[in-house]
Amino acid sequence: MNKLTVHFTLNQQSIRLETLAARSLLDVLREDFALTGAKDSCGGDGECGACTILLDGEAVNACLVLISQVEGRHVLTIEGLTPDGSLHPIQNAYVQAGAIQCGYCTPGMVMATKALLDHTPQPDETQIREALAGNLCRCTGYTKIVQAVQFAATELHHDN
Amino acid sequence: MTTNTSVIGKPEIRKDAAFKATGKAQYTADLQPEHAAYAVLVRSPHHHADILSIDKTLALQQPGVIAVITAEDIPGLKTFGLIPDQPALAINVVRHIGEPVVLVVAADKASAQSAASKVVVEYKKLNAVLDPIEALIDPSPLVHPAGNLLAQFNVESGDLDSGFSKADIVFEETFTTQRVAPAYMEMETSLASYHPDGTISVWVSSQEPFIDRARIAAALNLEVEKVHVLSTVIGGAFGGKEDSSLAIITAIAAWITKGTVRMVNNRSESFVAHPKRHPVKIHLKIGAMNDGTIIALDGKVWLNTGAYASYGPAVGSLLTEMVAGPYNIPNVTIETKVIYTHTPYSGAMRGFGSPQAHFAIESAMDMLAERLNIDAVEIRRKNILQTGDTLPTRVHLNETALGLEPILQHASAAVARLRKVKAKPGKHSGVGLALAMQSMGLGNGIPDNSNHRLEWLPDGRVLIHLGVPDLGQGLVTVAEQITAEALGLPFEQVVSSPFNTHTVLNGGVVCASRMTYLVGNAMIAGAKHLIQELIDQAATLLNQPKDQITYACGRITLPDGNTLSASEFTSRAAEQGNPILVEASACFPYPEATTPQHLPIGLPHVKFLFGAQVARVEVDAELGIVEVTDLVAIHDPGKVINRLGAEGQIEGGVVMGIGYALYEDMSLKSNDQWINCFTEYLLPTSLDVPINLEVQMLEYPEGDGPYGAKGLAEICTVPTAPAITNAVYNAIGVRVKDLPITPEKLYQASQTHIGNHQDTTESKR
Repeated sequence: MNKLTVHFTLNQQSIRLETLAARSLLDVLREDFALTGAKDSCGGDGECGACTILLDGEAVNACLVLISQVEGRHVLTIEGLTPDGSLHPIQNAYVQAGAIQCGYCTPGMVMATKALLDHTPQPDETQIREALAGNLCRCTGYTKIVQAVQFAATELHHDN
Repeated sequence: MTTNTSVIGKPEIRKDAAFKATGKAQYTADLQPEHAAYAVLVRSPHHHADILSIDKTLALQQPGVIAVITAEDIPGLKTFGLIPDQPALAINVVRHIGEPVVLVVAADKASAQSAASKVVVEYKKLNAVLDPIEALIDPSPLVHPAGNLLAQFNVESGDLDSGFSKADIVFEETFTTQRVAPAYMEMETSLASYHPDGTISVWVSSQEPFIDRARIAAALNLEVEKVHVLSTVIGGAFGGKEDSSLAIITAIAAWITKGTVRMVNNRSESFVAHPKRHPVKIHLKIGAMNDGTIIALDGKVWLNTGAYASYGPAVGSLLTEMVAGPYNIPNVTIETKVIYTHTPYSGAMRGFGSPQAHFAIESAMDMLAERLNIDAVEIRRKNILQTGDTLPTRVHLNETALGLEPILQHASAAVARLRKVKAKPGKHSGVGLALAMQSMGLGNGIPDNSNHRLEWLPDGRVLIHLGVPDLGQGLVTVAEQITAEALGLPFEQVVSSPFNTHTVLNGGVVCASRMTYLVGNAMIAGAKHLIQELIDQAATLLNQPKDQITYACGRITLPDGNTLSASEFTSRAAEQGNPILVEASACFPYPEATTPQHLPIGLPHVKFLFGAQVARVEVDAELGIVEVTDLVAIHDPGKVINRLGAEGQIEGGVVMGIGYALYEDMSLKSNDQWINCFTEYLLPTSLDVPINLEVQMLEYPEGDGPYGAKGLAEICTVPTAPAITNAVYNAIGVRVKDLPITPEKLYQASQTHIGNHQDTTESKR
């Protein structure tokens, strides 16, 4: 099987990885780096958003990214959202809003929220719903998730 | 209790939330011990086939393969289930697509998958029956030798013929519902580790870990004490993680290979091989007086339970109990048949038969209202249950029903308010209402108890050894809040231990809207024991009369008025190797004097939840698309323990109900393939949720509930679908009697109706 060497930045750290070519970024994150915050809920078909990470600042499904595609790029996972593992204002907003039940979709939701607020610091409700439409949640009915994003936007706006 | 220590009803933040938000929470699939092997299943590609042969040779030659396991390798019991008809691995025959046939264990996932593709199973395809009505017609292919009728339930009250003969109007309608998946985000997963001392540890994502333990022990021919079942964080369950077989299969793999084995289903496996909500056909014949009073109901129900019993009979019995809805009907006959077919099995799912029953009765209520030209609210007001009424099961309703009338009043106000909202250009708006009831508990004749322990830690905090896992719904938080309240401690001072069958008592199955009631009552009882133990300790240590020592808010007060912190005594007790540890138990009451005893086991239930939902929809008749713009959910969960959590349950339940009404349908996509992925099985997304989703909680305390709490988890998904179908009828005059309301169905139906219903919002009622 084909092996390759990939260089990329993972949560601010430079990585050089020798690996089989036919692997997804999600598998590499979970298996090689024990970064299990990104989840699989659809079998790697890009249907659920539970594995959402940021690739050069854009929210993507890590299951749909081949490891060769991250060469020279920046990968940010839920584990790298704050340097010391403390709560990012987005995470704090999810906690305070009651937007977390089983929590399986939460890391992906938080990362999708991060991408949204980085690009659109003060989104309206429709923009929030559209930005999260690729992230499935079966517990919350999304209502408190949308509220969490609104809280986070307000909080981040005040911080700036 | 002083108000400043009261934690009941407050929106306390669940203690696992930050852990989950940061991605640190470890679900079972996140546990990846070094040297753990990985197992995958070879599954049946056929609805029904004889297994002629299984050739493992090629698979065993693949790199990394550790074992290739078939049913004959299982050391103990090869089947499981309440009715033990389901093989862990198929024995000579397969009865549905996706049934596990061969278990392949290899060093890693890729090797296991590669080897699994080299297993050669030779099948002889047999005729299959997929439709439950056909399955009852002779000669149908048999799913199991004893016949395709798995169970039948009959409930009768009053005199049906006399009721119909007095009725001014009699009408009949048939309703059908589809097969839906619980679709929890975390798929079934397990990790099992064989220990050289002859024990085994099994991590499962399950609602019933003590039942899993018994089944694993039976499959491995072990004493139950040698099986430890543990839970980490669980990613949702909704009923589907009852009777899910992956833990048994993973344990078999670990036991046979004497190692550690991981298994994680992919989404398609989760669809085809784990419990679903039953597809159901319900025929109702209703007799009513001209004033809207219903005097007779004849219900016939057919449940397609699939290839294995699972909880199908129990769902059938509860559905039977719910067919009459929250209405007082004097003459009722219900007959329910639970039928085997060669389809993926159905079992427990949130509501447990009640959503199907309410889709039928709540649609029929609106149809009756229209025939009699009575308002939809008024016809319900005429018929709703009151305290003191008798159900078709002969149960006399007590104060459990107090909330129903105020719920209807709130619903009436919501209907009036939403009817005034104008439709967007080109859309037709409509408002629909549905009521619902849902039983609490397992039912008469089933041990319906829950056991836990409480420990006062040396530092003065209290540790709950909860006998059940939290599925994600927030059960642990509810237990901690109630315990904190009962002990007068701050919420932060009460913590919980991880679930492990070896260290906790049997808390039972997390199901049936029973946990807040049972766990809460157990915690209150346990807290009383804890306080008494603390006072006893203090009395002994200080040589004081125990009847003159009092406790409040984490401190004891001595006869001289001095107060001391509880930790002074709890630390001393722990030092002496005698920690303050008590058992905390509760059970559902089924008093013999007031609980009818003439029905099969599991019937009747005696405590009920009630609710109503009002939906406003806008329908694009040309595209057949329904948008739920507003949904008002009105529920009586008794006293609310955690407002954030309760609202979250209702919001999630409503959206699950929207999926049931509009999108979800696990049907056949070709002759031999079920819909099995999220691009074909559509879950509601953030764009499909009503912009105005309003939760109203009326808190009528349950007399013997913990601080008056009842339950909530299931009922909030029950009335959603009929509220939406009633709203769609109100909008465009199309009555959907077959869920879900797909654009195709709506478009076709509306072509014949729409001309007559241009502006229906005001005129219909």
